[in-house]
Amino acid sequence: MTTETTTYRERRVRSLAFARIGDFASRWTFMLPAAIIMIAMLAYPISYMTQISFSRFDLMTFSPGEWVGWDNYAKVLADYRFWSSLRVTAVYLVFALPLQIILGFGIAYLIHAEWRGRGLIRGLFIIPMVVAPVVAGGIWRMMLDPLWGIANYFLGFFGIGPFDWFGDPNLAMASVVIIDTWRWTPFIVLIASAALLSLPRDVFEAAEIDGANWWQMLCYIALPLLAPIIAATFVVRWLGAVKMFDIVLSATLGGPGAATKVINLFIYEEAFRSLRFAESSAMAVLVLVGTTILTGIFLWGSRRLENEP
Amino acid sequence: MTTAVKSFRWGRTIRIWVGALACLTFLFPIIWMVLTSFKQQTDIFTSPPTFIFAPTLIHYLEGIRPAEVPHRLLNTVIVAVGSGLLSVVAGAMAGYALARIKIRGAGTIGVLMLLSRGVPPVALAVPMFLVARKLGLTDKHITLILAYCTFLIPYVMWLMRGFFLALPKELEEAAMIDGCSRLGAFFRIIVPISLPALLSTLIASMILAWEELLFALVLTNRNASTIPIAMAGIAQDTVNGANWGALTAVGTITVVPVVVFALLVQKWLIQGMADGATKG
Amino acid sequence: MTRKIQKIGRRTVVVSGLAVMAAAALGAGASAQDAGLGTAEHPVEIRVSANESFANQMQTLVVPEFNKVYPNIKVTVDSVPFVEYLAKAMLDITSPSPLYDVAIVDEKWVPQLASTGGLADLKSGDIAAWTDVGYDWDDFYQAALSSGEWSGVQYGVPLRSNLLLMFYNKTLFEKAGLPAPTPELTWTEYLEQLPKLVQDTNGDGQVDAWGIDTYFIREPNTPAIWQAILSGNGGRFFDENAQPAFNNEAGISALETHKKLLDYAPPGALSHGFTESLQAFRQGQVATLFNWVSVYKGTAIDAATTTLKPEEVGVQALPVGSVSGGTYRGVWNGTVPANSQNKQAAWAFLQWLSSKEGEQFYANELGIAPARQSTLNSTPKYDWLVPVFTAMRQGFEVAAQGEMWTLRHPRSDAALQVITDETARALANEIPVAEALQIAADRIPEALQ
Repeated sequence: MTTETTTYRERRVRSLAFARIGDFASRWTFMLPAAIIMIAMLAYPISYMTQISFSRFDLMTFSPGEWVGWDNYAKVLADYRFWSSLRVTAVYLVFALPLQIILGFGIAYLIHAEWRGRGLIRGLFIIPMVVAPVVAGGIWRMMLDPLWGIANYFLGFFGIGPFDWFGDPNLAMASVVIIDTWRWTPFIVLIASAALLSLPRDVFEAAEIDGANWWQMLCYIALPLLAPIIAATFVVRWLGAVKMFDIVLSATLGGPGAATKVINLFIYEEAFRSLRFAESSAMAVLVLVGTTILTGIFLWGSRRLENEP
Repeated sequence: MTTAVKSFRWGRTIRIWVGALACLTFLFPIIWMVLTSFKQQTDIFTSPPTFIFAPTLIHYLEGIRPAEVPHRLLNTVIVAVGSGLLSVVAGAMAGYALARIKIRGAGTIGVLMLLSRGVPPVALAVPMFLVARKLGLTDKHITLILAYCTFLIPYVMWLMRGFFLALPKELEEAAMIDGCSRLGAFFRIIVPISLPALLSTLIASMILAWEELLFALVLTNRNASTIPIAMAGIAQDTVNGANWGALTAVGTITVVPVVVFALLVQKWLIQGMADGATKG
Repeated sequence: MTRKIQKIGRRTVVVSGLAVMAAAALGAGASAQDAGLGTAEHPVEIRVSANESFANQMQTLVVPEFNKVYPNIKVTVDSVPFVEYLAKAMLDITSPSPLYDVAIVDEKWVPQLASTGGLADLKSGDIAAWTDVGYDWDDFYQAALSSGEWSGVQYGVPLRSNLLLMFYNKTLFEKAGLPAPTPELTWTEYLEQLPKLVQDTNGDGQVDAWGIDTYFIREPNTPAIWQAILSGNGGRFFDENAQPAFNNEAGISALETHKKLLDYAPPGALSHGFTESLQAFRQGQVATLFNWVSVYKGTAIDAATTTLKPEEVGVQALPVGSVSGGTYRGVWNGTVPANSQNKQAAWAFLQWLSSKEGEQFYANELGIAPARQSTLNSTPKYDWLVPVFTAMRQGFEVAAQGEMWTLRHPRSDAALQVITDETARALANEIPVAEALQIAADRIPEALQ
């Protein structure tokens, strides 16, 4: 491997240096592909977004025009619609996120038993996710319509309702939460099932022999072991849910009034309908800042969860 | 001990039944979608809703023809598979780096990548299009694949980081003592035991790419146009009103391949589990 | 252009490799010679962007007919869904080398697209020289042709002319003991009839038919309903200077009337729009429907989509206000991007489509609403088109009288969005009608800047 002329010392230094470089490189090999793709794809769009949020938008060239400082931000912050859609988004998140996480992990735990049908159940369970939002929102729109919808018809047998699902502001928000939960719980079930599969089985077997019932196994074994993954799922789902507008766009169109107009629907309408890209970018930056702060808090919380055991 | 086992068995049965029931509840809207796709337009909006009707194939034979389903389905498959695989490979490696390899600065990069998911996609679509047009890359599969990676990689990375954190550390240490390189240890030891998680994130990524609309709309015209665009077109028909028969028919068609794929993966996965191949 | 790039560069917050590449590539593409009409050896190819709802019909049925006349022009029609169409069209026509040679756009987008300088003037220069001597501009209804005009320049030709009309179910009027509507029906009479049209038709004690269904949902077409009511009363949405003219008694009363319709609409109507109101009418559940003329065939004729018989369905303009009946115009215009390199072929295509012969073909064979007086005054090939042509003639006349169309302004969609927001809040009873109109009027000047 080495030539005769090199002394032992020289060889040692060189191989150490090589090893250090090699080690450094091999560590970074893991991070690089993702980092390169993300930077190549996002650096320009994010800088573009930031720039036009400080400029007058030039529709002729689709580029930032004259620099206007904080004008767009001032406009957005003075707009009652911005604040009302933030409020709507907060309500949606407060209801939808915990519901989805609890239902998702709950159902995954329920069907995590060794029986022949579980592969089928898991396979079928992902279907609500597969249906594109346009169709999903539309099917629910059909099912919840008071005139021809199956929901009121069915509830009528139990003497409940009739409800004007999309006509009442609170019910409309409830509908959006239901539809979103229907779509995203399967995603969490999918992840949670994989998490349960990767748990060490011998721990459960030992507990079973010791006479633990499944409730005890859930609380004292499964949940603590799952904590990092629950935290990760929550963060990922939170970042997805903040951006939600497709379901609203296809089910309620933000109505009635502005009862389900979430912030991303507003950003979308400002950009694609009104062609107010500058204001819409300013809102996007504000949302990004808000999301960053809240995500930071969640990450801090989940780090504590991870370090606990 | 026997009573404990017995009560456990009982718990198991209840669990399975409750789980199956939950599954059925979640599937009801899908069943309704499939039923609707076989109804004449006049049967779709009856009140009260009808379960008994003369089924028709008209939506599959004629209604969806304008939507160019085969061409768009193929595009959707290419883009979903491409972006799913790419993001799972890149994302899982990054997740592993965050969970197990100490690199100065990587944590910050990871969190930044995660946070990029917080950028409203509406704000990204237009500048991405402008760049793609300058590079002559609009209406190409690769553009869409890379664009989808921007929201898939952070999600895969973060989830897989959670999974890798839960793995016992001794595994790769043993492998590295055996003379494996880091990359070797990752692919030979870590990937096989994380298969359930990797496959689940892969399925989820493909589905997320499968149904994406906004980037697809802005970045494609015809060649790389995907199924969700066809659906949006049918739903926003400004001449005759939305053709719900055609829309649910397209919906049904797009569900089938993904479900078959997911079922195959699940079957294979559980087989693997039973063989003990993935036992930790 | 270069200076602008430098300016951008200095301000770039994060300089990335791609940004540099993108900037370097900017400014490419100069206009070359026009490709003409093509020859048998060298056919010319044009690309057309059209709304998804008719792109396929155009490609499979209209283009072959066009190719009988111009065999050397190869036409590819791409489809774009409605909601994102404006942004996509804007991105394309502002490009130095646009992908599309023909863009078929909703009339409300014409001023927005034209003001970027991206559309070609169809009545001057080369295009005027390429126009057939026999091409009769004056034959178009003025109410249709003006939809393609912006600040005195003709940028588009009407290809599909939609009008908001009132459909009525004669059977339900009969059951309620009311005479079928005539074009003379006034709002006062109609509002008196509506309570009677909410009825129990099968005697089981439950209401199963309602008076009206139309747009009530939070969407940009919903204000068209109360605008049509306002116009019929002689009011205006905007004045000549694009300032809001609806914030007064007449406007309040029009929106109040729109809101009052909800009392006679089926349950859940607040979330009904185009599709839902249409389906309720086709199921025979509502006596009247305000919707677009393009739905007539699927509503009255085609047994696969409607439960109604042709003789049951009537169509006419909205009830008469203090001045005239009401309607609202929605015309799809064929336009040619100014930077297209196939302008001659593109114009040949548009010219054929909007010619007397082209209109006869697609009005009769495809049931697409025409815009020419010669077409609407001719005897249609099929009987079911007769009431449609009659209603359209009435519609075009009242539309021209009361300028019943959307705001013509380069930022019209931004203003319309403001009105949509406030209309939705008023209809949902979130705020009083007067307050909604006040907020809308206050916000519009900023939106139009």
